[in-house]
Amino acid sequence: MHVPFCLSLCPYCDFVVYAGRSARGPAARVGDYLAALAAELDLRADALDASGVGARPLRSVYLGGGTPSLLPPAEVARLLDQVRRRFGIEDGAEVTLEANPGPDERGDLTGFVAAGVTRLSLGAQSMEASELRRLGRRHAPGDVLAAVAEARRAGIGSVSVDVLYDVPGQTEATWRHTLGVLLDAGVDHVSAYALTLDDPDAEGLTGPLGDHLPTRPGARAWRERARAGQDDDRAAELYLLADELLARYGLQWYELSNWARPGHASRHNLAYWHHDAYEALGPGAHAFDGGPLRRWNAARLDGYISALLPATPAATSTLSTASAASAASAASAATAAPAEGRTRDASPRLPPGGEERLDPATFAAEEAMLGLRLAEGIGPEIAARPAVARALDWARGHGLLEDGEGGRIRLSLRGRLLSNEVFSRIA
Amino acid sequence: MIPQERFRNFCIIAHVDHGKSTLADRFLELTHTIDARQMTSQVLDSMDLEREHGITIKARAVRLHHTARDGETYALNLIDTPGHVDFTYEVSRSLQACEGAILVVDAAQGIEAQTLANVYLALEHDLVIIPVVNKIDLPSAQPELVVEELENVLAIPREEVILASAKEGTGVADILEAVVQRIPPPGGDPAAPARGLIFDSHYDAYKGVVAYVRLAEGTLHAHEAVRLMASGAESELLELGVFRPQLVPVETLAAGEVGYVATGLKSVRDCQVGDTITSAERPADSPLPGYKSAQPLVFAGIYPINGPDYPLLRDALEKLHLNDASITFEPESSVALGFGFRCGFLGLLHMEIVQERLEREFDLDLIASAPSVEYLVTLTAGRGEVRVDNPAELPGPSDIEQIAEPWVRVKIVTPNTYIGTLMELAKLRRGAFQSMEYLDQTRVLMQFELPLAEVIVDFYDQLKSRTQGYASMDYEEIGYRPERLVKLEILVNGEPVDALSMIVHREDAQAQGRMLAERLKKLIPRQMFEVPIQAAIGSTVVARETIGAMRKNVLAKCYGGDITRKRKLLEKQREGKQRMKRVGQVEIPQEAFLAILRTDEGS
Repeated sequence: MHVPFCLSLCPYCDFVVYAGRSARGPAARVGDYLAALAAELDLRADALDASGVGARPLRSVYLGGGTPSLLPPAEVARLLDQVRRRFGIEDGAEVTLEANPGPDERGDLTGFVAAGVTRLSLGAQSMEASELRRLGRRHAPGDVLAAVAEARRAGIGSVSVDVLYDVPGQTEATWRHTLGVLLDAGVDHVSAYALTLDDPDAEGLTGPLGDHLPTRPGARAWRERARAGQDDDRAAELYLLADELLARYGLQWYELSNWARPGHASRHNLAYWHHDAYEALGPGAHAFDGGPLRRWNAARLDGYISALLPATPAATSTLSTASAASAASAASAATAAPAEGRTRDASPRLPPGGEERLDPATFAAEEAMLGLRLAEGIGPEIAARPAVARALDWARGHGLLEDGEGGRIRLSLRGRLLSNEVFSRIA
Repeated sequence: MIPQERFRNFCIIAHVDHGKSTLADRFLELTHTIDARQMTSQVLDSMDLEREHGITIKARAVRLHHTARDGETYALNLIDTPGHVDFTYEVSRSLQACEGAILVVDAAQGIEAQTLANVYLALEHDLVIIPVVNKIDLPSAQPELVVEELENVLAIPREEVILASAKEGTGVADILEAVVQRIPPPGGDPAAPARGLIFDSHYDAYKGVVAYVRLAEGTLHAHEAVRLMASGAESELLELGVFRPQLVPVETLAAGEVGYVATGLKSVRDCQVGDTITSAERPADSPLPGYKSAQPLVFAGIYPINGPDYPLLRDALEKLHLNDASITFEPESSVALGFGFRCGFLGLLHMEIVQERLEREFDLDLIASAPSVEYLVTLTAGRGEVRVDNPAELPGPSDIEQIAEPWVRVKIVTPNTYIGTLMELAKLRRGAFQSMEYLDQTRVLMQFELPLAEVIVDFYDQLKSRTQGYASMDYEEIGYRPERLVKLEILVNGEPVDALSMIVHREDAQAQGRMLAERLKKLIPRQMFEVPIQAAIGSTVVARETIGAMRKNVLAKCYGGDITRKRKLLEKQREGKQRMKRVGQVEIPQEAFLAILRTDEGS
């Protein structure tokens, strides 16, 4: 479930986020959004029931963002109750909430635990004040430690932190410091992401039905400057350093960007890499039925709300139902295409968005690429497919692979850093 | 009919921007050849490109009927000449068609190098010179100084000089009167076997090659069978006529007249500038002197940026060649650039114009390899000589006895404050200083001898930038000289890159090699392994750079469940890889080659 609100925008982030007046205060859109989210949840469950597949109990739930920790715990509880009612949540399921560490952002962790949250993912990013400032973050390094301690006191069993490497001005020493402080604080899981300065506009993702919002001019300029401060060689060194340091603290590498203590690997994220099915709600969210269908919601909050809450004033705001329908039908793949004449109907409709049906070759290639992101690698039956085998031969020749157990194949340490070279050769 | 003694054939010699075209326009108006209302500015420069470059690329001609002060009507044939050094041969043919020349000098700028060269050329052809100091209306005009310059440099008596402002019409009638009074009528016996000088031509889809002719002797008739004496081509004349300035058919063209003949020939190759046209029935004994076939001086590979455009490029070159026989082209292929053509041009400007015309008129995106001259290579063991205009085709060092390169004499006219920097420039370019003379108190004429290869790269740009645009230059070939020349090859991971080979002087090889290697290092993306870039002469490496192995290419970012975006980014990487050119094991994007060739042009 994507919660598209933050107190402020970080210039490197291209997730669907609304900040400022939309996020808090009298003009906040949070209430409408929550109502729309609840409506979507029902529609998605209805659709699954109608398809004969049926809404099945979930092994994991992920509240991502944005900053879901801005939501009142009661709303989180209500949402999770609705999920439980419509889908079911397995016993011992992983329920993650993303939080920002600042005192005004991290919310009432005890309340979240009471609502059913079992895992906290903290956007720490760095433990160097100067790097946090450069990244446009609101919080200070001390806030991260306070949030970790609070999470422990609240009884959260699994605490993860996101950190960034290849940040302009970062050095081996600052990176060592960031990781060391967090590991000393006893986190269970670390996601170390290379600061990636994409351009979703150039990728064609920001149109009216796109799953991304257009890049703000300030962010665009920031990214251009930041790119000049990035360096692939340094990034590679920092990755190797992280892998070594995290292992020393008992966090094992399990996915390209993820390390965890035994039992703390993110089950939710593993579902992505395992090609498992996942439902998705909220603007910009992506779902997969396990094959062959991927679908996503458009990024824009207006369109999302007006489709799902047609009776509210939001329904007649910037994106009317009629234009949403015509925009949706103009796209090659659209989920929301109500018939003509139903546009005045007050019942909620699925939000605009898109979908993609994977052909068997793409599905197979994806399976190999996603599997190779993982420490467990891919099995011999996947590796033997001709389109995959050719790429693997090439990769082996350059020392990018190593053999796992039972004929499984995985990336070597060097291969992890050059994984795109392997993946882009899988046809 | 205007009798032969009332014909005057003349041209205008002027530096770029000194007012030649404006003066020609005034002539057209004053003689009512063209209505003032119909005048688009500068009628004679009919191609867009010519207007933009401010020069006349192809000669044009026009016949003016002028009633002189003696009350008689004269037929004045104005033959326009190309104003650029690349077209010296064309200029000389145009001059050969005339008995006189108007020398136009800008009252603010004075004599320029090119003007000087063309005046000398005119004097060699015994042309009567009518000196005109133009633009006397300009606030910065110093006509007295220019008159003095003309006297000092060209020994032109000051009383012969006409002061004029073509823009305002001042002095224009006096100039026309001087044409009538000072330039002799053409000679030549109209009853002799016909001999006509081809001084220009264009291709017409209906009439075939339309040749611009100055009849030296004899008479040509419509529908007569004719022969081109150099090419041997024969055909029947479809039409002949005069330029008013549009083509107006007449029945005959006789000795002394200037006009056109529509030959019906399919290629300008059969009817080149300088050739002599004669009657097939009653041919002349010998052609008019001075013919030589167009010799390209500058060579370069021209490639379509989009490979599939290759057939379009071939068609375009063939079409251009119909009008411009001086372009040569033959197919060539390169690992880096794919399929294209090795083209020969009269000079760098000609190359630039052809490339621009190809891009503009045929909508092609092109890349040119670095320009080269034609080398004369003497093979070992008395196996003779070969001509090489493509460095990649130079024989191996052990087969080469010696390499000679074309040299040119460069004349530069410049304010004397720039003498030092121009001396330095010439020295940098392996030039030898020859002489210097003062044109007036502040302007000098400098002469150097330089290898043509050093002139074609960016000598002209350097000249302009070092002199704030004040200097002008002209050059003429002075033959081949053996030099310590070597082929510099660029090796990427041990494999030579054909498009980047060049022939350089041994002493410049290291510096050139280092510059190319450094640039390539920045342009070639990292590979899975370390890639050495070497600049080498035979087996001797003179410069080396190393591209470190690629260390990181990973989509580490969290995209939530958005696998589609991850996959699309990978697909983009794959497409990029598929577009790469392979040099041995190394994958190089074509853009890298384009970038290095483009910076070459500009540097």
